[in-house]
This record gives sequence, structure tokens and C-alpha cells, in this order.
Amino acid sequence: MADIVSTQAKATPRPRRRSKISAYETRTAFLFLLPSLLGFLAFMLIPIIASFGLSFTNWQLLAPPQFVGFSNYIRLLTTDPAFFTVLGNTLFFTVEYLVLNIVISLTLAVWISSLKRGQRWFRVIFFIPTFTPTIAVSIVWLLIFTPGGVMDYVFQTLALHIPNLLLDGKLAMQAVIIVTLWASVGYNMVLFNAALDLVPQSYLEAAKIDGASAWDRFWKIRLPLISPTVFFGTVMTAITSLQVFDQIYVITRGGPGSSTATLGFAIYTNGFQNYQMGFASSLAWVMFVMIMALTGFQFWLQRKWVHYDS
Amino acid sequence: MTARIRTPRKPPHQTRTLVLDTISHAGLTLVALLFLFPFFWMVSNAVRGNNEVLAVPPRFLPTEYQWGNFAEAWLRLPFGKFFLNSFIVAGSVTVITVIVSSLAAYAFARLKFPGRESILVAYLGTLMIPQVMLVIPLFLIVSRLGLINTYQGMILPMAFSSFGAFLLRQFFLSIPKELEEAALIDGASRLRILVSIIIPLSLPAIGLLSLFTFIGQWNNFLWPLIVVNGMDHATLPLGLTMFQTQQGTSWNYIMAGATLSMIPGIFLAIILQQLIYKGITVGSGFGGR
Amino acid sequence: MASVDLIDVVKFYGSLEILHGIDLSVADGEFVVLVGPSGCGKSTLLRMIAGLETISDGDIRIGSTVVNDLQPKERDIAMVFQNYALYPHMKVRDNMAFSLKLSKRSRDEIEATIQRAADILDLGHLLDRYPRELSGGQRQRVAMGRAIVRDPAVFLFDEPLSNLDAKLRVAMRGEIKALHQRLKATTIYVTHDQIEAMTMADRIVVMRDGYVEQVGSPLDLYDTPANVFVAGFIGSPAMNLIHGTVTGQGVTTSGGTIWPLPPGAKVEQGQEVIIGLRPEHLAVTDQGLDATVTLVEPTGSETHIVFDIGGESVTAALRERIPAAPGSRLNLSPVLNNMHLFDKASGKRIAS
Repeated sequence: MADIVSTQAKATPRPRRRSKISAYETRTAFLFLLPSLLGFLAFMLIPIIASFGLSFTNWQLLAPPQFVGFSNYIRLLTTDPAFFTVLGNTLFFTVEYLVLNIVISLTLAVWISSLKRGQRWFRVIFFIPTFTPTIAVSIVWLLIFTPGGVMDYVFQTLALHIPNLLLDGKLAMQAVIIVTLWASVGYNMVLFNAALDLVPQSYLEAAKIDGASAWDRFWKIRLPLISPTVFFGTVMTAITSLQVFDQIYVITRGGPGSSTATLGFAIYTNGFQNYQMGFASSLAWVMFVMIMALTGFQFWLQRKWVHYDS
Repeated sequence: MTARIRTPRKPPHQTRTLVLDTISHAGLTLVALLFLFPFFWMVSNAVRGNNEVLAVPPRFLPTEYQWGNFAEAWLRLPFGKFFLNSFIVAGSVTVITVIVSSLAAYAFARLKFPGRESILVAYLGTLMIPQVMLVIPLFLIVSRLGLINTYQGMILPMAFSSFGAFLLRQFFLSIPKELEEAALIDGASRLRILVSIIIPLSLPAIGLLSLFTFIGQWNNFLWPLIVVNGMDHATLPLGLTMFQTQQGTSWNYIMAGATLSMIPGIFLAIILQQLIYKGITVGSGFGGR
Repeated sequence: MASVDLIDVVKFYGSLEILHGIDLSVADGEFVVLVGPSGCGKSTLLRMIAGLETISDGDIRIGSTVVNDLQPKERDIAMVFQNYALYPHMKVRDNMAFSLKLSKRSRDEIEATIQRAADILDLGHLLDRYPRELSGGQRQRVAMGRAIVRDPAVFLFDEPLSNLDAKLRVAMRGEIKALHQRLKATTIYVTHDQIEAMTMADRIVVMRDGYVEQVGSPLDLYDTPANVFVAGFIGSPAMNLIHGTVTGQGVTTSGGTIWPLPPGAKVEQGQEVIIGLRPEHLAVTDQGLDATVTLVEPTGSETHIVFDIGGESVTAALRERIPAAPGSRLNLSPVLNNMHLFDKASGKRIAS
């Protein structure tokens, strides 16, 4: 005979038991995370908090730090002669560099993507500088830009009346931008190239049949479809560009005057050449706020131009 | 009946495409050659006498080749030591990063525990912290610990970035859960599963993480600048600036030093380009510069 | 070998209760199949027995041990997964040896155990291959080999044949059954395919929406389904289910057809019922219900004919070859002794 066992729903909700297995898993997870958490605490979290605290002191390493409230921040915004210059330089560099980087790396990515052969080689060539020390790159470009060097010769031959970039307060930043572009476009270029190659051919073929020209196909299909990647590249590039340091240290040292002094460089000079740790920390927090604001702005802008699949 | 011999004719638009393609190719080749100029200039100036470096008008090739400049540059400053230090620091940071990140990534990907999401968000937040903000307090912490100008001081603060945990977590999530469930039933501990199953199946991601960590540390300048005094512990970028200060206007030796310091990066970039390209396609956790 | 007991087992996902107090006893050496549509909870239940899912309430016993808080490796079980879950970077030999190495057996012992399992499953020539070099059926056998070498108290199978093509499935069914007869191992097997359940099980557990609908031997479930769901789920082609109301000595459908009632049916006048008739329990007779042929499907050994009887679709499985084209009319009679009756409101079987 068949055993008929049919259970009915219980009217009252059941209490739930905590399983010993979950506790065991939590303990295992804790052990796995321990090294990472310790490092995170010691070299990330505590320094962040310490940096915040330091920004409210006037520590100069010799005497114990003294709490000075907001005076560092006030000094930045009012009496410090260099702050607004530094801020302006940083913004100027970031905006111009970011735009140029994205435009150039995207152009190169599209160009390489459109070739039938040799893509690998072109990718390698533009990518190599990203793997070399920025210091070495800066030293080489220093030679190129140095008064009497190749750059000046090229300007002369092309009859361009451009003064030596390193000696001119208005143009020195362009030199830094050029060097940074050369050293870094390869990165986004490979990223965008990969994204372009991942666009399904079927979309482009359908567009061709619909009568779209190559120009149309780029702006209306390929670009929108890789926009998440471009967005990602833009955000990361903006964050790193606000911190530019190596090139300035080697090529201009913030000069001529303070025309190429950016936040990153100013923090270094204030902290490790003038030993004004408190003031330097407040500068660092200004930089951090700028990064957050810029990133937030980009995320807000994302809705306007980034297309996601789902 | 006579058989007609047909010769294929290229339709007009195909010829036009061929011409455009060739022009496009040639154009990009030109751009690429221009792009390579700084490398050429660096080596060309490295192997000449210093009197020819800033000649007016500039000479593109030296009149006599001084290949010995490389050896000379090597000797003028302890380049061997710089290379060794860079290797020790970059290597150690890479090893520690891979181990610590694998453990953390596995916990995030496969283990359930309270606070998992919050910690993950905190880790994500720290990715946006600029290095230059951290170096001031890090300097103070490291000097309190007595680790200024030591390898530990150079390595430890750099070895715990949360980037590795994110990258590997992404990859671990894509490994079928059944493999781990079968291993659990087979009697493996979680650590055993990580080491014997997850990591062997994650070698591409680990390779990429190692590569980018190594290169990042090899090229890092700011932290060694701050934490190192003198030449004993100097890494290559730091040593290069010391060389530049010391050599002043001996541009040829400076270029030779720069060339030497670029060799590992160039080498790795060429050899591993395909891997990097594939990895960025798959991983897409590697961001931009 | 050991028995398995589920006592009032409950599972919550968040605040949603998906298994509602399951009771089941599996005897030592028995082959029990959990079957049901997707989402019925059968895989979840299996994974709870394995230790891959936590138990919200109730107890699971393997042998005399309550295993609720035990890790999978402590429960003395082995599992065969739907996707085989073979370690892709290890050879077949190492896949099978993995658990043995973890329990620190000697190399000779490991070798011997693997060889034994390989002989049983005819894997000897595949031991040094990688999973990616094997066919689906071979991979499945390796997965079984990995389970066998553990010599567990209970074997768990999670839809192992779902990824195989039809012919292979039939062959593997036989192999698994033969393996069970040889090893006499307690086996709990999950599938959505009722044919697998019928051919392999000692007892079948039919599940739906987190409840057990019926437990019994295959023929018990086939001959005496406890409710409409089980009746329609077990058997292929599916049982014909005809809705109607009890009027006089028969059941009247909405189309006006009057079906006869089986003798001794405990029904009331006006009761809404569902008649259950297996396709093989319909016969072409001289007198009977007026049936129009709509579809003829010859399978060789039988002919399946779909009839229209008073607007209702009824499938008959006939042994004889009847020349019937769509549109022709025949007389169809149910075999009354094999007619099932279910109360429409509760879905439960009406006794007779």
C-alpha cells in the first residue's frame, strides 16, 4: 500500500535556530580576512584618521603637535599666497590632461581597431611607456624640452614662435601635460581598444544594412556601447591625474615660479621640505575633497551619456 | 565549344577600401614612429659623447658610438644596488599582496559573515584615497616603528591595497560553486580549497595582479623618496634622480641610466602585451591612468 | 551504510519558508528518489542533507547521529552533482584521489581503492586524462567514481543525468541502478524526470512547493496516486484528467458527456470530481463514449491517439494498430477498475 504522507502548512510562524555551521564559517572568514584587515587598519584606516587629525594641528616634527583648530584651513583660504595658484594649477592640469587623454586614447583605440593587420604591434608600441618608471620618462623628456634641445629645434624649423616651454610660466604646464600624456595614454588606449573589439559585430552589420555611414556607426553605436568602459577610464584617470607628482619633481620642480606647482607637489614640499606636517595634511584633505567632488560629478554626469546594457 | 577563361575583377569599391586601408595603416605607422622618438632619443644620446648631446643643430645619430657609457653609468652610482633594492621591494610587495588578497578575496567571495558588505564598501572607498595624502601619517607611523630607511618600512605600507582583493574576488565569483562544494564533501578545509582548487584555476587573474603590482612598485617614486635616506636602500627611480643630481650635465650618462631602468618595463610590456590585453578584457578591474 | 531520517525539516530563505516541515525515513540500503517540478525544494532538501545548506528547523539524522551542526565532510556522505563538478586542473586519477589524500590514507591504499572503483565503472583507461578530454557520460562516471572511493554511508545524487542526451540517459540509468544493486548503498536521488524516478527508485517522494505530496513505491504511486498532482505527474503519457459533476450514476462534464462511475465510489450527488484515466486504460469498444480522432502518434509498440470527447481532449494508448485518421469517429470505453476519482476541491483521492 502507498504511504500517503502529506503535510499541511503550520498556522503559526516558526522560530529560527542559529546554526553552529554559520558560526564556524564566520570564524573561518575572520581568519582569512585577518592579514588584510590588519594591514588595512595599520596602513589605511589609521593614517586616514591621523591625517584628518593632523590637519588641525601645527606639527613641525620638532615639538609635540599642538591643536590649532581650523587655522590651517583658514590660512589656505585667506593668507596663504600659493594656495589658490596651486588649486588653479591642479584644476587646469586635470581638466586639460583628462580631456586630451580620453580623446587621444579613444582616437588611437578606434584607429587601431579599424586596422586589419598589425593591431598587436601598434598596441604594444603605445603601451610600453606605461610600464616604465615615470621618473625615467620625465628625465628623457627633460632632455627633449631643455633649452637648446630637440623641442626648441623643432619649433624653430617649423617657424613656430613658441618660447622654451620650461622657461615660460604660461607654457610650462603644457610640458608636464605632454609628458604625462606620452607616459599614460597607452593604458586607456588598450582598455578602450579591448572594449571596442568586444562590441558584437552583429550590431554594426545591422547598422550597415540600415544605411549608417562609418561616422554614424561610430557615434551612434560603437561609442555608446563602450561608454561604460570610457566612463570607468575617465574616473580612474581623473583620480590619478589629481595626484601628479613625479614629472613635476623632475622637470619643473613646481616652477617657473609656481606655475606648475600642483596639490600633490605642494603637499610634498610643505610636508617634507618645510616640515609643516599639519598644514600639508590640510592640503591633502582639500585634495581628497576635490577627488570626491570630481568623482561625484562624473557619476552624476554618467546618467547623461553612459549607456548600460540592462 | 570554347571555354571562357574568367579573370576575377575587383569591384571598384573594394579597391577604394584597399587604398583607404593602406593610407590608414601608413598614417598610424607614422604616428607610432613619432611616438617612439623619445625612446630613440634616449638611447641615441646615451651612446654618444656628452659634447654631442645638446649640439646645435641637434644630431640624431652620434658620430662615434660609445657603448661603454652603459657600463660607465652603472659604475658611477651603485646601479646594481638600485636594481636589487627595486627587485626586493617590488617582489616582496607582490608576494605579500597576492597572499593577503587571495585570502581576503576568498572570504568576500565565498564565505558568509556579518559585516561583509560594509567592509567591502570600506575597502572600495579607500581606493580613492590619494597616496600623497597617506604618506604624511604613514611617514610618522613608520618612523615611530623605527622602520625609516629599512626594507620593512618600504614594503609593508605598500602591500595592503584593497585593489587585489577586489580583482580576485571578481574572478573567484566566476568559478563554479559546485567545485568547492564537491571539495567540501571530499573533506577539504576552506584553506585547502583556496590553495588546491581556487588558486590553480585563477592563475590568469593572479598573474595580472602580480604583474601590475610588481610594475607599480618598481616604478613607485613618492614613497621611497620619503622613507629612504641615502643610497643604500634606494630603488631605481630614486637612484635615477640621485644620479641626475650627481651627474648634473653629463646627459649621456644620465640617458644611459634612464635606459637601464626602463629595460625591465619595456621587456615585460612587449612579452606580456597579449596577456594584458586579454586580462583587461576579462578583468576590467584595472582602471585607467 | 546507514539510514537517513528527516524529522520536521524546515528551510527559510530570509523570511520566506520554502520547505514546510518535511518528514521522511530512508532505510539502510534503500534507493529513494525525490521528484517534482522545478522549485519544489527537492535539491534544497538534498543539499541540506549534504550540509551545503543550513537547516532552519527540524533534525536530520544519518544513522543514529544528528548531523545538523556537522560539516559536510563529517557526515560520511558523497555527492554526485548535475554538472559533475570535476576539478578541471586535475587528472581523473587525482580527482578520485583528492578526498583520500585529505584523509591521509597511504599511497598503496589510495591506489588500490581507485583501481577498484575504476574497475567497477570501467574507467581504467581514462585515469590519466583530464576532465575536458572526456565525454559527458565518461565525466559522469568519474563523478560517481569520486563518490564511490569515499565508501560513504549515504550517496546523494543531484540531477546527475540532466545534462546528458536522451540515449545516454537511458544507458546511465541502468548503470546507476546496477551500481546500487552491487553496492547496496543508501541512495537519495533528485530528479525532475518522473521516468528516472519510476525506473530506479525503491520508493519515490513526490514534492511540490516545499511539501511532500506522496511517498511510496513506484507502482503504488502509479496505481494509487494520493492526489491529482501526483496522478498527473507520474506516468507518461500523462494521466487524462477529466472534470465533471456527479449526477446519478455517472459524471457529467461541461461538454455534456456522461462518464460512468467506478463501482463503490464514495461520492455524493452534485460533488465536483476529477476523473483520472491512464491512456492505457481506455479501450476501443462497440458501445461507449463518442470519440473523434484529432491526432495519431504511432510509437511502434503502441499508438497514442488523442480523441475529442465532448469537447475534452483525451489521450489513449492502444496496443492494437487501428486505422484511424483524424476526423474519424470511434467508441471509447474506460476500464472502470482502473479509473481514479479525485475530489475537485481538495484534490485528494476518493476511495472506492
